[in-house]
Amino acid sequence: MTEQLATMEFHPQPQAGTAKPWAFPAPDRATLPNGLTVLRCHRPGQQVVAVDIVLDAPLDTEPEGLDGVSTIMARAFTEGTDKHSAEEFAAELERCGATLDVHADHPGLRISLEVPVSRLSKGLALLADALRAPAFDESEIKRLVRNRLDEIPHETANPARRAAKELYKQLFPAETRMSRPRQGTEETVERIDAAGVRAFYDAHVRPATATAVVVGDLEGADLDAMLGETLGEWTGNTTQPRPAVPVTADDTGRVFIVDRPGAVQTQLLIGRIGADRHDQVWPAQVLGTYCLGGTLTSRLDRVLREEKGYTYGVRAFAQVLRSAPDGSGAAMLAISGSVDTPNTGPALDDLWKVLRTLAAEGLDDAERDVAVQNLVGVAPLRYETAAAVSATLADQVEQGLPDDFQAQLYRRLSETGTVEATAAVVNAFPEDRLVTVLVGDAAQIEETVKSLGIGEVTVVTG
Amino acid sequence: MPMGHTATAEAGSGGLTATEHRLANGLRVVLSEDHLTPVAAVCLWYDVGSRHEVKGRTGLAHLFEHLMFQGSKQVKDNGHFELVQGAGGSLNGTTSFERTNYFETMPAHQLELALWLEADRMGSLLTVLDDESMENQRSVVKNERRQRYDNVPYGTAFEKLFALAYPEGHPYHHTPIGSMADLDAATLEDARAFFRTYYAPNNAVLSVVGDIDPEQTLAWIEKYFGSIPAHDGKRPPRDGTLPDIIGEEKRLLVEAEVPSRALMSAYRLPHDGTRACDAADVALTVLGGGESSRLYNRLVRRDRTAVTAGFGMLRLSGAPSVGWLDVKTSHEAEVPDIEAAVDEELARFAEEGPTDEEMERAQAQLEREWLDRLGTVAGRADELCKYAVLFGDPQLALTAVGRVLSVTADEVKEVAQARLRPDNRAVLVYEPIAPEQAPDAPDTDVNEAAEIEVQEEEAAK
Repeated sequence: MTEQLATMEFHPQPQAGTAKPWAFPAPDRATLPNGLTVLRCHRPGQQVVAVDIVLDAPLDTEPEGLDGVSTIMARAFTEGTDKHSAEEFAAELERCGATLDVHADHPGLRISLEVPVSRLSKGLALLADALRAPAFDESEIKRLVRNRLDEIPHETANPARRAAKELYKQLFPAETRMSRPRQGTEETVERIDAAGVRAFYDAHVRPATATAVVVGDLEGADLDAMLGETLGEWTGNTTQPRPAVPVTADDTGRVFIVDRPGAVQTQLLIGRIGADRHDQVWPAQVLGTYCLGGTLTSRLDRVLREEKGYTYGVRAFAQVLRSAPDGSGAAMLAISGSVDTPNTGPALDDLWKVLRTLAAEGLDDAERDVAVQNLVGVAPLRYETAAAVSATLADQVEQGLPDDFQAQLYRRLSETGTVEATAAVVNAFPEDRLVTVLVGDAAQIEETVKSLGIGEVTVVTG
Repeated sequence: MPMGHTATAEAGSGGLTATEHRLANGLRVVLSEDHLTPVAAVCLWYDVGSRHEVKGRTGLAHLFEHLMFQGSKQVKDNGHFELVQGAGGSLNGTTSFERTNYFETMPAHQLELALWLEADRMGSLLTVLDDESMENQRSVVKNERRQRYDNVPYGTAFEKLFALAYPEGHPYHHTPIGSMADLDAATLEDARAFFRTYYAPNNAVLSVVGDIDPEQTLAWIEKYFGSIPAHDGKRPPRDGTLPDIIGEEKRLLVEAEVPSRALMSAYRLPHDGTRACDAADVALTVLGGGESSRLYNRLVRRDRTAVTAGFGMLRLSGAPSVGWLDVKTSHEAEVPDIEAAVDEELARFAEEGPTDEEMERAQAQLEREWLDRLGTVAGRADELCKYAVLFGDPQLALTAVGRVLSVTADEVKEVAQARLRPDNRAVLVYEPIAPEQAPDAPDTDVNEAAEIEVQEEEAAK
């Protein structure tokens, strides 16, 4: 039927105006007398300043059997110092309108402070106290350990978290740190105490192997003076970082079903490892992966969501696990999402068809062009806030990349052709070298999954 | 007004200004210039949300929001996403109780495209809306419901608490996601009728914020939106008026396959837009905001009975707002012990009121939240629309932080005494059961739970 509507006047689609120049900001780099590297970047109008501290404390330096000690130490930074008790420290921080987040990951430890510029000096002082003189009080560490133990069942119950835990376990050799949860298991976390935290701190936390990134509207803030009185007071020896062990994985095509009787959806996570940001292929891999599953108009969602309605959304991504100039690093290349239980088999079948079609026919120029326009075009939006700029600069530091990496990446993306992007994404997601984890109702999905021929199927519980 | 400890006199608004305009067809327009970054945000609020839905059609506002991305007269299926992303923009749409919003953030030189796209679907969606889109998006939304609510622990807590806190038949008794049965029952004709009723220029506010030329922007808006006819078929939502106090504690025990016991409560609070609502915000922050709040210190640090403990607030203008307490227990801790501790802290707070230091801390946190919200062009565009749609005055967005900072300790104490009482709450208690018995399915952020979007946020790097 034709809708009878009072009509509006239609106009042709407008053409774009003239683009205004924008470039990813270049930071100023300096070293404080205590050896701390400082990157700073003035972003006019950004009243909330972001400070990222990058510490060289990779997870594989955690002592045997103490997985999670880096996480507990990171959390303990904000639980009291030589000047404040745990409660006082939290109160002082919030009195500045500040937030302080910590994250212990494979490449190292990150501490992210965000604070209104009007209270930057106070925020930096608290951050410096936390790094320089953490209390690591016995009772507070006990509480953090217990708290961490309480979190584990919540993570296990969450389908996406459970899937990730299984993929890492299956993909990486059992003896490597990467195969085990970043924040430890019940067995390892239980063993962590104040002495263990202190020992890890003494071994890995020092200004000489750390970097501070400061981004925001710094006009009118005497940052040098502030840094001198705060992070400049932090002392430590000058031990240099040691080389990392290369990341390896077994990507033989196979399937693991984590059984969840009665689940209304199947969480899927399909992955392997591949090129990281030091590899020449990175821009092509970013581009090709976006075309495969970067958004709801990418190949996967065009079929799985917009044609079939099997899912709210499936994404393909490349996420750096660890990256270093010596080539020892890798990125996790993965496809993730959730599909309703009855359509799990058909959805996986379609997903593999998308991969096979891509390998057989390649990308077309139009989708490559749209992807480049999006990836390059969104840069000014994506880096509007100080926190976004700071996080990317900190990533670059952590991965041993030059400070202009992101700026150059936009140029390289623009120069990447359809053929290169096709080759990169087909290499990244070969149909027979993918480890599939399904968190769902095994009784409902096992047989259909077996019939797909995407690898041997194993059902696990827990 | 004394604002002794605040960062700057104009904290949060940073000297921002906004101008207001109205087209002949009733479309209200708000413009705000900011040339620091070459980006422009377009935000369109339609004055329709889940509170406008009728019995048997819950979830329709949100399902309809999905259909708005399925093409219009000059835009093919999914063309809205393709064109915006291809222009280097980002976009989404979300539905909550009181409104549906659609937004694009564009490189400044692509602003005109976003305006053209929004106008095309406002004026011509029904020329292409068909069964195929309807059936497809019905499946997508049902999968969204499974993913975000039914298949995660505590996922339906928000829905259950609202059903307890707002009486049967009240427009806020059901949440925006709707029920599976109602999503199944919705017809194409329902969707068409929904569009004809609510999607009119005179039922919307359009804001454009960022690196714009206001005169040129207004000319484009007139060109693309100006000829869309106004219509007045809108039905007002059912009356959301309720007494200030629930009058008794409503309680539900949920035995489900969850990882730990949990205590969640919803307190009935003053309407958004009132001074008492701002005071309640400060009270909840002192009691349960961040990691130095009274409840966090008591339950997580001292008693060590909880792994998380905090208050969130959902501001509502067409019905009482909600203060949402969320406590997950530690190990074998018992909910009655936690409830006793919570009640003791609430009673003490109502008796004593906040200390000066607590006021300073809470207001600094709230000021920071405003700095974050107004720190991006998209955030500013959304706030301007909110205050225009819900309160008739976008300028209120720019002065909102000042109002929160001017709240006094006495006002905080007063609202705590009046509202944070056992006879003014709905309580949900979770008791874990073993998987075999389980009939049902991370922390729930109350504002996140109240708002659902057309696609999950993404980030390409």
